Amino acid sequence: MTRARAGFWPTGRRSLLVVFCALAAAFILSPLLIIILNSFNSAAYSPFPPPGLSLHWYRNLLSGTGDFGPAALYTLALACLSTLVSVTVGTLASHVLQRRRFRGSELVRAGLLMPIVLPKILLGVGLFVFFSQAHIYGSLWSLALTHALISLPFVVAIVSAALVGADPSLEEASRDLGAGGLRTFWLVTFPQIRTAMITSALFAFIVSADQLESTILLTRPGRTTLPVAMYNYVLQYQDPTIAALSSLVIAVSAVLVILAGILLRRGDTVSVLGRAERGATR
Amino acid sequence: MNSATALTVDQPAARVRGARRRGWGAFTLLSPALALVTFACLIPMLIFLRFSFLTFSGGKLYDVYSLGAYRTFLTSAYYHQVLLDTLWIGALVTVLTLVIGYPLAYAMWLAKPLPRGLLGVIVFMPLLVSEVVRTYGFQVLLSDDGPVNWLIEHGTGSSDPVPLLFNRTGVVIALVHVTLPLVVFPIYSSLRRVEPSLREAAEDLGARWSTFLRRVVIPLSLPGVVAGAEITATVALGSFVTPSLLGGGKVTILPVLIYNDTNAINWPAAAVSGLLLMIIAVLIVLAFQRLSRTSEVA
Repeated sequence: MTRARAGFWPTGRRSLLVVFCALAAAFILSPLLIIILNSFNSAAYSPFPPPGLSLHWYRNLLSGTGDFGPAALYTLALACLSTLVSVTVGTLASHVLQRRRFRGSELVRAGLLMPIVLPKILLGVGLFVFFSQAHIYGSLWSLALTHALISLPFVVAIVSAALVGADPSLEEASRDLGAGGLRTFWLVTFPQIRTAMITSALFAFIVSADQLESTILLTRPGRTTLPVAMYNYVLQYQDPTIAALSSLVIAVSAVLVILAGILLRRGDTVSVLGRAERGATR
Repeated sequence: MNSATALTVDQPAARVRGARRRGWGAFTLLSPALALVTFACLIPMLIFLRFSFLTFSGGKLYDVYSLGAYRTFLTSAYYHQVLLDTLWIGALVTVLTLVIGYPLAYAMWLAKPLPRGLLGVIVFMPLLVSEVVRTYGFQVLLSDDGPVNWLIEHGTGSSDPVPLLFNRTGVVIALVHVTLPLVVFPIYSSLRRVEPSLREAAEDLGARWSTFLRRVVIPLSLPGVVAGAEITATVALGSFVTPSLLGGGKVTILPVLIYNDTNAINWPAAAVSGLLLMIIAVLIVLAFQRLSRTSEVA
């Protein structure tokens, strides 16, 4: 931003804005910071300030309280599977919808974006009844497809936005030179939309790993996902074991963000997300 | 597909074949997505619709069609209260999130790259932490002997904790936290449309900053505001984790009610509330789409 002429730029309000941002940042970060502090708390409840510090709750977690280990592995498998499905299916659909206009293509796009506004709890209840009647209740695949459906709109929005920026004449040139559809995609289209595909995969992964409303009715006891196990634990107990686990989850998320930042260093993530946002609401 | 063929009749024959093949190809490539939506969304919704007409009586579900669930919903004061609470909490959260989110996005837009990046990461971070985790954080934060009440007691000297948990206040505070990033980023991305040349033009024409803000910046950022408000309203109306964990059974909004009814095998009641929630969500989206069209013209 270029330097403004004196008098145009109100300096007094600027410091007000800085104070506001500091307060907002405190609001945004405080629930996360208090969890980390509370995980080292020595008491079995959550007083402030903590009476003492201990690693008791981490030891408790490692000794298998709450069975969170298997739940975490299950969540990981589910997230990988559903991400694979939704990125593949979503990229195929976005490519068709972006490159070939046909009668009803806007309707199809609206249909694919619809799950974004559908309250997840409705999906959970509807699928609970459907899966019980179809006798696939509680299977890994039924959950993976559910999660893929939920992340599909994000993939379609993000990848479609990137395809708007990718030059279709390059694809036509590739086809005219005799390359098949798959080869053209791999050599011409994919390099242009790679950032968007990675972004959408990250989105899909996070969405799946964070699903509770849609999933809480669909898992069998003893074979639940991490969010469901954590929800059930918080409902029953108030001790900081859950704070220790949450701190670990926050640490893993932080590592993921840093990794994503390195992966996406070349692409402007904010602009990809911005374009996707506009694409989703259009 | 027919139109694609018709458009290319005067092309060489190979082209026509190509067009036809690609037309079928389009359907083949789309079919996985359509199958997924049908299997995981359409069929459950149809089942939902059917269940809303079944009969629930004396704690048991009967395979008999009736309008009982609809009648209960229309006449029961409890359901009306839940509906009002749902709408009120949704509206309150949307307004509060916009009031906090707009200045944040505006600050990101004004800031130099480094503080902008920092602010962006801070705003984005909660999205990566599960809603259950964040809600647990608020349970600790807002409890009677938590940090917020500790601050209030040391600041005002009173020894009575302010009840922030297991009531509407806590639920609204936590929902604003959940929806904040969903508002900041759309507004920020629409603010980026305000090019530096526009500011220079305003400056050259002798406009003050406040005039520039009112006449240029805010109108251009309206599409982002509308998009953010739309996402916030749908998320707040459909939220379950936050009201169920922070409401402590005292704050019942539609999604919580649906979950409770499903667990009580009162599927017809859950289906009726669910359909109502869906209708509200669709109405909100339609209203905001209309708003977004007018905001883009402005």
